[in-house]
Amino acid sequence: MSYAYLFKYIIIGDTGVGKSCLLLQFTDKRFQPVHDLTIGVEFGARMITIDNKPIKLQIWDTAGQESFRSITRSYYRGAAGALLVYDITRRETFNHLASWLEDARQHANANMTIMLIGNKCDLAHRRAVSTEEGEQFAKEHGLIFMEASAKTAQNVEEAFINTAGTIYKKIQDGVFDSFGIKVGYGGIPGPSGGRDGSTSQAGGCCS
Amino acid sequence: MHESDIHDLSDDADYAVASKQGSSSMTRADDSKRSSYSDLEDAEIVYLKDNVTIHPTQYAAERISGRLKLLKQGSSLFMTWMPYTGQSSNARLSGRDKNLYTIRALSFSDIQSIRRHTPTIGWQYVIVVSSVCAGLAFPPLYFYSGGVREFLATIKQHVLIVRSSEDANLFLVNNFQDPLQKTLSSLALPGSLANRTPSSSSSPSYGNLEDKYTSADGHLSSMQQNNKQRQKSHDPARDISIQVLEKFSLVTRFARETTSQLFRESLVDGHGPNEKRRTNWASKEHQSQEMTSNDVEIVPKKVPVPSDPLEFDKLSLVWGQPRQRPLGLQEWSTFLDSEGRIVDPNALKKRIFYGGVEHNLRKKVWTFLLGYYSYDSTYAEREYAVLVKKSEYETIKNQWQSISPEQAKRFTKFKERKGLIDKDVVRTDRSLPFYEGDDNPNVRLMHDILLTYSFYNFDLGYCQGMSDLLSPILFIMKDESEAFWCFVSLLERLGPNFNRDQSGMHSQLFALSKLVELLDSPLHNYFKQNDCLNYFFCFRWILIQFKREFEYEKTLRLWEVLWTHYPSEHLHLYVCIAILKRHRAEIMGEQMDFDTLLKFINELSGQIDLDPILRDAEALCVCAGENGAASIPPGTPPSLPIQDSSIYYQDDSLL
Repeated sequence: MSYAYLFKYIIIGDTGVGKSCLLLQFTDKRFQPVHDLTIGVEFGARMITIDNKPIKLQIWDTAGQESFRSITRSYYRGAAGALLVYDITRRETFNHLASWLEDARQHANANMTIMLIGNKCDLAHRRAVSTEEGEQFAKEHGLIFMEASAKTAQNVEEAFINTAGTIYKKIQDGVFDSFGIKVGYGGIPGPSGGRDGSTSQAGGCCS
Repeated sequence: MHESDIHDLSDDADYAVASKQGSSSMTRADDSKRSSYSDLEDAEIVYLKDNVTIHPTQYAAERISGRLKLLKQGSSLFMTWMPYTGQSSNARLSGRDKNLYTIRALSFSDIQSIRRHTPTIGWQYVIVVSSVCAGLAFPPLYFYSGGVREFLATIKQHVLIVRSSEDANLFLVNNFQDPLQKTLSSLALPGSLANRTPSSSSSPSYGNLEDKYTSADGHLSSMQQNNKQRQKSHDPARDISIQVLEKFSLVTRFARETTSQLFRESLVDGHGPNEKRRTNWASKEHQSQEMTSNDVEIVPKKVPVPSDPLEFDKLSLVWGQPRQRPLGLQEWSTFLDSEGRIVDPNALKKRIFYGGVEHNLRKKVWTFLLGYYSYDSTYAEREYAVLVKKSEYETIKNQWQSISPEQAKRFTKFKERKGLIDKDVVRTDRSLPFYEGDDNPNVRLMHDILLTYSFYNFDLGYCQGMSDLLSPILFIMKDESEAFWCFVSLLERLGPNFNRDQSGMHSQLFALSKLVELLDSPLHNYFKQNDCLNYFFCFRWILIQFKREFEYEKTLRLWEVLWTHYPSEHLHLYVCIAILKRHRAEIMGEQMDFDTLLKFINELSGQIDLDPILRDAEALCVCAGENGAASIPPGTPPSLPIQDSSIYYQDDSLL
């Protein structure tokens, strides 16, 4: 299927926060509580439309355990967007956000759009991280923020699509160079696929 | 083979020996053919050559020398090759090994081609490709005492052989004494292929073909011309298929099975078999392929792919045994002495390497392969060990079971480990009946074993991937303590895969890159140019021993084969290379970058055919030989660590 752009996303965060479930909910619109834990990386893809343009999201779902960080770091290359996920019922997954962010800043393009997601918001009765704390962290670090539930699908669609919208806007504004964005058959001609253009014209991400 | 066939030849010393050794899987004549050479006693020997040798492996000690003969009976010509008996240099080979390669009265009506090879170093050899049973390439025959020319000249005197117009060393065999039979047999190899070549584009008619050749009878030169013409313009697939078969005789151990599979594949997909074959083999170097992925953003570039250096003549010749039936209970008992010791562990390992183990025997055999029991232990010793080990297991298990909730509050590391294991055991193989459903007791067992292991080996602790390794072991052992100890044995070797600094993984990936450099330098260079030398795309393969790449039963088979450590402790790396090599044309032709390659490799999961890969892996391992072993740094997992102390020492500051 043809598309105007292909955006590479990477989903990161501690193990067990629901990264694979978010991906499955977004690509297949279903919640599967019983699935195999992710070793290395898994892939998902879905077409969306922004500004009447077909955009393909290619999503990299990574393993969360600390040991695999060195491998995960090699996956950031070329990502236009990242979903940084924590589990609102497990405080430690929130506490580790800074370390994830550091990895992302260090190994991804500076213009990568990062969406912070507090997952499992259907389990509000077991909440260990308040919405305000999530918002505060996002604001401090220049991230977009949403609480979501892979189980009920609440905000899942929005999280992926809003991220794409932000990326798309950066392209329109000329902020982005070719990083993480590939121009498809039906798209405007332009640079494609390169991943060595490490120039970053504008530093800050929107929030 | 039937005994009666062999008895008819009992006056020949070689045959008599061969018949004692049992049946052959090399001679594949069907019933109709059998009568044609069932009584060769009055046959005339028209050619005899001693010291004609095959090289089943690269090891000189495993070469098998024998006597090659051409026999004439009536108007038919037969070829035989019989291994010598009692050769001291062949001590490593069993009678069965030798017998396997014996060529008994191969009729030239069943031969499609003979190719002469003249390497710059070493002996001249020929490869004979049979035309029956969808084709079979016999192992290369090395003429230690010369005589290839004479061999071919003798054949030429008795049957019609035609030198291929495209390859001066390829001789196509066509005996037109019986045109119909010859036509059929010449069609038999390409089979489906011939039916769809341009010369017989609609429905193939053997009758027409027969007419064609009958009319040529008696006009040798014009027929030769005709035949050449046919080779060139009407049946290109045939030359290609010969190449395919010869290639298999070089690189894999059981040409027939694999090639017939290849032919089947070419039928079931929508391609004409010709195109498919060309794409796969003959001209893949010069053809780029259309990308099939949806993710392609630009029209694929046409890129020439450098040829595989191991193809055709450049490979040290490898021809091994076909894969065997799994080891069964009855045969297993022959490996044990009266007190239960395994008399010849190496023979057992070799047997398992080539065939695996029947499912109901796995529980017994895995304990040895994993090193839980020693091969020289007796029934009584093992019975006793089970009890001791069970009690030892309970002691370790009790260490974490006795931690009270209050204590756990102040024991973060324990809580974290337990939390991680809690989360992971419910995400491991839950679609298998053995682990499915809520409150499955086996999931509970897996939890307890992993947590106990993290106390047994506190420095290593728990890491994701371990549950994948434990799952099949528990499934087979079905006993908590025994599964635990087998898992312990496995992690003696694979523990470094889970080092927090990933050192064990990196050393294997490094060794892999060295082996690819050795065995496929164009592919290595491609990875180098495309920033793929970290081989992270093979990470999951190695971390959990291909557990996610095959269906469960195939994983069990692969693991027991790998655990034999025959012919190398690092066969798993050769398995990686075998898979990569099968896809090298796609990888390079489509100019995959790191991302695309990673995704491509990920998506091979469930698409890999185990048996051919194992054969290729063995061939690659044998081919790499000492150079391969030298490419793998000492201590690379699953080798046992060089020094025992502090291998699991971890910087715990991160957890």
